[in-house]
Amino acid sequence: LGAGQSIQKTYDLTRYLEHQLRTLAGTYLNYLGPPFNEPDFNPPRLARAERVPSATVDLDLWRGLTDNARLAANYRAYSRLLCYLRGLDGQVGAVELRHRLGHFCSSLQGLVLSIAGVMSSLGYPLPAGPAGPPLPPGSSAAPNDFLKKMDDFWLLKELQTWLWRSAKDFNRLKKKVPPAVVTLRLETRGF
Amino acid sequence: GLVQSCGHIIPESPVLALGSNFTALCILNESCLDFGNIYASQIIWKIKNKVVPKEQYREINRTVSSVTFNDTSSLATPLTCNVLADGQIEQNIYGISVTVGLPPEKPKNLSCIVYQVSKLTYPMKCTWNPGRHTFLDTHFRLKYRWSRESFPDCIPKYVNNSCTISDVQFFVNLEVWVEAANALGKAESDRLVFDPIEIVKPLPPHNLSVNSGILPTVLKLSWENRISAAVMKLKFNIRYRISSDTNWMQVPPEDIASPRTSFSIQGLRPYTEYVFSIRCMKEDGVGFWSDWSEEKVGVTTED
Repeated sequence: LGAGQSIQKTYDLTRYLEHQLRTLAGTYLNYLGPPFNEPDFNPPRLARAERVPSATVDLDLWRGLTDNARLAANYRAYSRLLCYLRGLDGQVGAVELRHRLGHFCSSLQGLVLSIAGVMSSLGYPLPAGPAGPPLPPGSSAAPNDFLKKMDDFWLLKELQTWLWRSAKDFNRLKKKVPPAVVTLRLETRGF
Repeated sequence: GLVQSCGHIIPESPVLALGSNFTALCILNESCLDFGNIYASQIIWKIKNKVVPKEQYREINRTVSSVTFNDTSSLATPLTCNVLADGQIEQNIYGISVTVGLPPEKPKNLSCIVYQVSKLTYPMKCTWNPGRHTFLDTHFRLKYRWSRESFPDCIPKYVNNSCTISDVQFFVNLEVWVEAANALGKAESDRLVFDPIEIVKPLPPHNLSVNSGILPTVLKLSWENRISAAVMKLKFNIRYRISSDTNWMQVPPEDIASPRTSFSIQGLRPYTEYVFSIRCMKEDGVGFWSDWSEEKVGVTTED
């Protein structure tokens, strides 16, 4: 696949994930029960939630990102989000919901691989290791059920925001990276 | 045990390629030689109680006799090593089972279709030509992977020419191939690389409804699509006929070549009952048409 084609496919996959998550998140929050499934539930973001990479970014900063930095941020975020999501997947009691979470995890894994494919087709190295500093030992398990559900809530919220942001990231890259030009440039540099 | 074995045959339970040559050795125990006055020269080879011609024997030494078959197709189970002991009583020394067959051929014509079965579930069925009969226990596996990740093999049940992967992922290229293996070897099909979104057979639209409008020559057909636009945009075929007639007419495909959930069919006969049916496929024509939907009846108004 040329870079342009793989960016388009990554964009399509992001939109597809957005679509899946729209119904999946609703089902999962209903599974968590009140207050998490109430439309106006908007809790403050606890320090714990900082572990999940935030999609929120200053607009000018976002505009100024290089293609490499933009892709690397996506790659790191989804690699981490995937780990958390897989943690979610294992504890769900409802079989149908667990099946759909499993399918979504697989799709998200596909997105991580697609981003990696785009980066390598553009000649960028993959970011090493997970984003952000390692967590202090024992800090990951939530001390109680409510905070565990809060973690899940913020994970899904960030995931939705990331997918919304990524669609814009890849849309931007699509316009900047027409298929033919990139292939030509790669060939002239002896790739 | 009570009865001491006086020898054995090697190889023990061979699986042999049809049409190849084969040699077996019968090795007598030294202990039996002295006690039973038995020598390799007295060995008689049999296939299912039928004596093998002596020209195929060779006495390797006093305890070992060999038998050679230029073409294994004459072989059968059991192949036994026997000896004429004192007083001309034929004694069976040992026997082996022999299995003759063919290595698997390269599986051919691998093709796959993603059949939509519900709003969120897309199993992919792959079929292939398994090749000639091998006369052996031959296992087929459908293997598939992404560029940097493999998935568990799909193992066919009850058949050897198809397998269904329960739920595929879209928008990531998948490499798919078939592996056939038996005791005589292994063979792999050519590899296909595709994005499963390109081989989807969607479910047909449903919940059709037909409404007459103001004009007596127009009926409006409405429906629900069962595949989300985030997965794929659709184009349609609509066919219709007068209830009493068997010939179908089609709406020009170019008129319905874009995503929609309704269409007004014009040029109909006033005060006439029509039957409608619709099908869909990916807008860019990549993939497969759905089946035709259930039929829906509508009547144009009077002129």
